[in-house]
Amino acid sequence: MPVSKVLTRGIGQVDLRDLKVYRRRGGYRQWKRVITELQPAEVVDLVSKSNLRGRGGAGFPTGRKWGFLPNNGRPRYMVCNSDEAEPGTFKDRMLIEETPHQVIEGMLIGAYAIGAKQAFIYIRGEFKRGYEVFTKALADARDAGLIGEQLFGTEHGVEITIHRGAGAYICGEETALLNSLEGKRGEPRLKPPFPAIKGLYDEPTVVNNVETLAFLPYILKNGPEWFAQIGPPKSPGLKVVSVSGHVKKPGNFEVALGTTLRKLLALAGGPRDGRKIIAVQPGGGSSACLFEEHLDLSYDFDTMAANGTMLGSGAVVFFDDTTDFVKAAHALVRFFAHESCGQCTPCREGGHWLEVTLERILHGGGLDSDIDMLVAVARQLTGINLCPLGDSIEPFLASVVKRFESQFRGYVRKRAIAV
Amino acid sequence: MNGAPKEVTLTIDGTQLTVPEGTLLVEAAKRIKTDIPVYCYHPKLGPAGLCRICLVDVEKTPKLQIACNTTVGEGMVVHTYGPKVEDGRRAVLEFLLLNHPLDCPICDKGGECDLQDYSIAYGQGASRLADPKEIKPKAIDLGPTIVLDDERCIVCQRCTRFDEIITLEQSLVVKDRGQRDVIATATGTPYVSMFSGNVTELCPVGALTSKTYRFKSRPWDLNRSLTTCVQCSAGCAINVDERHGEVLRTMSVPGDDAVSEGWLCDRGRYNVGFYSDPRRLTSPLLRRDGEWVQLGWEDAIDLWARTLHEAVDSAGPKSLAALGGGRLTNEEAYLIGHVFRALGCENIDWRTGRQRQASPGPRGGTYADVESAQAIVLVGVPPAQTTPIMSLRIRKAVSQRGARMILVGDYALPIRVAHERVARPRDLASLDLDRYERIAFFWDGIDPRVGSELNEFAEGLAEGRKIFTYVTGETPNARGAEGMGLVPRSGGRDSVGMLAAARDGNLRSLAIFAANPVLHMPGGADSVRGAIENVPFVVTTELFMTPTAERSTLVLPARGPFEKSGHTFDVTGAVRVLRPGVAAPTGTLSDLEILIALASALGVDVPGPAALHRQAALHAPWVARGFGDPALFAEGELKAPRAGAKATGLRLVIAADLFSGGGTVYHDDRLGELRPLATAALSEHTAAVAEVHDGYLVDIVAAEGTLRGLVVRVAPNHVDGTVTILEGLPDAPASAFEGGQTVALANVRAARVPVGVA
Ligand SMILES: Cc1cc2nc3c(=O)[nH]c(=O)nc-3n(C[C@H](O)[C@H](O)[C@H](O)COP(=O)(O)O)c2cc1C
Ligand code: SF4
Ligand code: SF4
Ligand code: SF4
Ligand code: FES
Repeated sequence: MPVSKVLTRGIGQVDLRDLKVYRRRGGYRQWKRVITELQPAEVVDLVSKSNLRGRGGAGFPTGRKWGFLPNNGRPRYMVCNSDEAEPGTFKDRMLIEETPHQVIEGMLIGAYAIGAKQAFIYIRGEFKRGYEVFTKALADARDAGLIGEQLFGTEHGVEITIHRGAGAYICGEETALLNSLEGKRGEPRLKPPFPAIKGLYDEPTVVNNVETLAFLPYILKNGPEWFAQIGPPKSPGLKVVSVSGHVKKPGNFEVALGTTLRKLLALAGGPRDGRKIIAVQPGGGSSACLFEEHLDLSYDFDTMAANGTMLGSGAVVFFDDTTDFVKAAHALVRFFAHESCGQCTPCREGGHWLEVTLERILHGGGLDSDIDMLVAVARQLTGINLCPLGDSIEPFLASVVKRFESQFRGYVRKRAIAV
Repeated sequence: MNGAPKEVTLTIDGTQLTVPEGTLLVEAAKRIKTDIPVYCYHPKLGPAGLCRICLVDVEKTPKLQIACNTTVGEGMVVHTYGPKVEDGRRAVLEFLLLNHPLDCPICDKGGECDLQDYSIAYGQGASRLADPKEIKPKAIDLGPTIVLDDERCIVCQRCTRFDEIITLEQSLVVKDRGQRDVIATATGTPYVSMFSGNVTELCPVGALTSKTYRFKSRPWDLNRSLTTCVQCSAGCAINVDERHGEVLRTMSVPGDDAVSEGWLCDRGRYNVGFYSDPRRLTSPLLRRDGEWVQLGWEDAIDLWARTLHEAVDSAGPKSLAALGGGRLTNEEAYLIGHVFRALGCENIDWRTGRQRQASPGPRGGTYADVESAQAIVLVGVPPAQTTPIMSLRIRKAVSQRGARMILVGDYALPIRVAHERVARPRDLASLDLDRYERIAFFWDGIDPRVGSELNEFAEGLAEGRKIFTYVTGETPNARGAEGMGLVPRSGGRDSVGMLAAARDGNLRSLAIFAANPVLHMPGGADSVRGAIENVPFVVTTELFMTPTAERSTLVLPARGPFEKSGHTFDVTGAVRVLRPGVAAPTGTLSDLEILIALASALGVDVPGPAALHRQAALHAPWVARGFGDPALFAEGELKAPRAGAKATGLRLVIAADLFSGGGTVYHDDRLGELRPLATAALSEHTAAVAEVHDGYLVDIVAAEGTLRGLVVRVAPNHVDGTVTILEGLPDAPASAFEGGQTVALANVRAARVPVGVA
C-alpha cells in the first residue's frame, strides 16, 4: 500500500515558509486543538501510541522519553535539536529551510505535552539561511498569536527562543547542546543525571530532533494508529532519508520505514552508469558499512541494528566500485578526531592516533603492522567513552578494513616497493 | 533530610559491604581498602567521567563502568581487577602516554605523579605509536604563581573545575578541542587567584607547578611535618616540606575537613621563603648611641629584667606596658600576661593593628555552621581578605546551598557572585532576614560602633533562630591572645592608651611581642614611631628588623610558627596544634623561651611545660558577650556610627591584599610579583567619572594628609563612589588614614604601569 508523504508534501510546489500558505493547508490547527481541547497527558499518550521513535540518531521512543520528566513542580524546557551535522545527513536542513512552520507547530505541541512554557531552537551555526527562515517564521507565528502567552484565549502558552551554534558537531549531542545553550563550553555532560531530570539550567528538559517534532502535527491529525501501522510495528512510520554518495540523483526522500536499501538506491536514480554499488553506510558517519549482499534489507531501526549497524539519523551513503576505502576511512576518522571535544581520554587520544596513522598510510609511510593496529586501536577506544562520539569512530573503519583489507594492504605494499 | 539514609549491600572483589544508598563505587571501594585508580575524580570536586581510568567490571552490565560515577546498587557485584578491567585500564594508559612527553627526569611531579604510578601498576612496557608525538607549548607563565606544561596535561579538568566549583572564579578553561586542547585563562590574562596553588596539588601530573618550588627538590628528599598555618586566623592544617633546613614548600592536608577541607590560600602556601631569608635576626641587638651592637642572650635578658625592676621601683607598674601576642601561640600569650601581671602591670593589649576584638560571643559558629546558613551577612572587611579559607566556605554555602549574601559597607568582593549591599548594620532591617532560620554574621572586629550596632540587630533576630557569629579579623591568633587575657584589666591602658601615655612621657618600658604597630596601628607610622621613641626602653621580639624593631632599644631574634610547638585558637575558637617543621636558625629563641628566661631573671615563677599547656587550655576561647562588647573598649569608642560621608569626593576604603604586610612578605624573595603595589582601586564607573585609567598614577588627598603615587586599578565589583587603598604596605602605609572619610583624587598622571602587575 503506497503511503502518502507528509513532511515533504508541497515542497518545491508551494511556498510553505509563508504562514498563510501553511495555514491554508491545515497548519497550526492541531496546535489549536491541543491547547484548547487536550490535556498534556493526553498528548503524551497519543504520541506514545504512535510508537514514534526519535529521528535524531538514537531512535528512542518519543512518548517514553517525555514520560521520564519528574513531577517536581520545577520549570521545564523543550529544545529542538537543529544542529544537524552528522556526515551524510541533510534532511533537517531541508525541513527547516522549506517548511519551518511544521517544525514550530511540532515544537509547540511537544512543549505543551511536557508542560514547558519555554522552548529553544538550537540551530547549527552554518545554517545561516535556516536561521533566517526560522526567525521570520517565528516572528510571523508570534504576530499571528500562535506563540506567546495565553494563546487562543487559554491560560496556556509557549515561548520559543532561537540560538545559533558556533560550528561544532559535538553540540548536536544533547547535553553538549545544553551546555552550549547555557553559554558554556560545548562538551557533553556526564550521565546520569539525564536531561529529563537535570537538563537546561539544571531543570527537567526534553531534547528532540527537528524531524521528530515535525511529525507531531500529523500524528495528532491522522491519529496514532495511522503512524503506528506504517512499516514494521516496532519501528514504524515515515522517515526522511538523505541519500548521497555514488548515486545519480542524491537527495532527501520521505519513505515508509521498512523500505529496502535497494529501493532507496533506485529513488536516488541508481548507481552511476557502468558502476556497481559495493557498500552502503546506512545511518550516517557513525554507522558501520553494509555491503552489496545487504541491499535487500529492510531499512528500519531494528533490522539495521540486527545487522551490526544502525539507522542513526537516516543518512544513506552508497559507494560504488571506484571507491578508495582508505581515503574514505581517513576522511571519516579525521572528521571525528577533529570534532572530538577532547574531554575523555580514549576519544581524544585514540581518534587522533588513528587519524595520523591513516594519514601516514595514505602518504606512503604505512607499515604492515599498521593495519592490525588500526583495528585494535579502534576496538580499544570503543565502549569506554563519555559520549557516543567516541564510539562512532570504530564502526565504519573496522567494517571497511575487514571487507577491503586488500586496499589497505595495497597502500602499505606501495611503500614497500618504493623503499 | 528524611531520617537515616537507606543502606545498600554489594560485593566488591568478593568482599561484601553495606554502604549508604547513593555512594559512588570509588568511595565504597575505599571502605574495604581497595584503591581504584582515578585522575579526574576528586572527592571534593565530584565525578567528571573524563579520564576513564577508573573502569570496573559490574556483573550483568556488558560494558566496563566508571567507578567514579556509578552509584552502588543492592546486590551489585563489582570486580576492580581481572583481565577485562586490566585491559581497559591498559588501554586508557596507553592513550594517556601516547603524546605525553615523558620528561619525568626534569618534572617536579616525578615521584608523586599518578601517571607514573599507574603506568607502573597497570601500564604496558612499550608504546605502539609509530608517529612523532604531538608538540604543545611548555613552560607557559600562567600567572604570578603557576607554570603550565600543556604536553604533560592529561585534561582531567581538575584545575578548571576547582576554579569553577570551589572558588567560583571561573578564570581557568580548556581551550580548543580534541587532541589540540590546552589549559588557559578564558580571557588570556594571567591566572590570578588567591587560591591558585591548590591547582598544583590537584593536578595529577606535572602540568601545573608552583614557581616557588620548580626544580627545587624530589619528594623523597623532603621531610614532612604536620602543623597549623598561622598566617591568618583560619587555622588551616598544613604540611611543611623541608630539606636541609629550608622550607621548600607547603602542602594542604587532605583530612582537614573541619577547617580547610584540604585547600590552602596562596599566602599560607607560598609565604614561607622568609624562614631561610638571610636577613633573619640571629642575635639580640642593643641600640647604643644610635648603633646596633650584638649582645649575648643572658646579658640581653638581664638588662631587660633590670630595666623592668628599675621602672617599677622608680615610676610604679603603670610605667610598664606589653603589646602584641596576636601572632603567637596560646602558651606564649598566656605567659606574656602571667609575667607582666606578676610585675603589677595592667597595660597589656594584643591589639596592634586595626582589629579591636577577636571572640564573637556566645553565638560563635563553626565552619560547618557557615555551610548550613541560609543568609550570610558580611560586615566590613570581607573574610576573603582576612581569612581566605573561610571565604571558600561562604562561597560553598552560596553556590551549593543557595545562601543569600549580604554585604554591609563599601568593601569589594573578590569574585562575581550575587549579593545585596547596605550601608550600615541597622539597614539590614529592610531585608526581611527574619524569613530565615539560620543566619551567619561576619564582622571584621575593627569599629566597635559598627560591632555594637550589628550586635543589636543580630540579637533582635536570635529568638527562635540559629544565629552564628564570627569575627574574621586580620590578626592570626587574636582569639588566643584575647582568650589568654591579653586585654587591659582593672584600669590598665589599651594599645591606643599606651601610645598616648608614651607620648606624654608616662611609659618607662614597653615590650612588643611579635608585632609591628608602626606599620599597622591606626594613627599612622609617624605618630606611632614618635610615641615609641618617647619610651626610654623598648624591647621587640621579631624575626626581622621591621620598622617597629628599628625604633626599639633591644631587639630579640625570635622564631616563626613553623619553628616551634604550641597551640592556637582558630577563628571559630577551636584548638589547633603547632609542631616544629623546620629547625630555627641558631641564635634565635621562641617567644616562649624568651618569656621563660625573662621570668626567671625577674624571679617570677612560671609553670612547667605540661602545667603551662594545661593553664593555657583552661583559658579556652575567652568569650566576649557579643560584637562590640563594651568590656573590650575604652569609653567613648562605642558612640553611634559617624553620620554618612559628605556628598562630594570619594569614600575611602582601606583594604588588605592577600600579601599585605611588612614582615614575612617583605622578607620573602620567592614571592616576587605577588607583592602588591600601592594601588587606588576604583569601579569602572568611578574611574570614568574621575577620568582616570588603569595604570595611571594618582595622589589621594585626605584629612590626615596625602598618599602619593598610587597606581590606579580599575576593577569590577568595586562600589561606585569609593576608592580602595591597601593597608600594610611598607612603602605606602595607609594606617594614618581613617576609612570611610571623603577624599579627593589629585595630581592624576598618565604614567603607565603595566596592567596586571598587582
Ligand atoms: C556526537 C553526536 C551528535 C549528534 N548530533 C545530532 C544532531 O545534529 N541532531 C539531532 O537531532 N541529534 C543529534 N544527536 C542525538 C542527540 O543527542 C539526541 O539523542 C537527539 O537530539 C534526541 O532527539 P530525538 O529523540 O528526537 O531523536 C547527536 C548525538 C551525538 C552523540
Ligand atoms: S567521547 Fe569524544 S566527544 Fe564525547 S565526550 Fe568524550 S572526548 Fe568528547
Ligand atoms: S593542568 Fe593538570 S589539573 Fe589541569 S587539566 Fe591538565 S592535568 Fe588536569
Ligand atoms: S586561609 Fe589563613 S590559615 Fe589557611 S592557608 Fe591561608 S593564611 Fe593560612
Ligand atoms: S576517575 Fe572516573 S573517569 Fe576519571
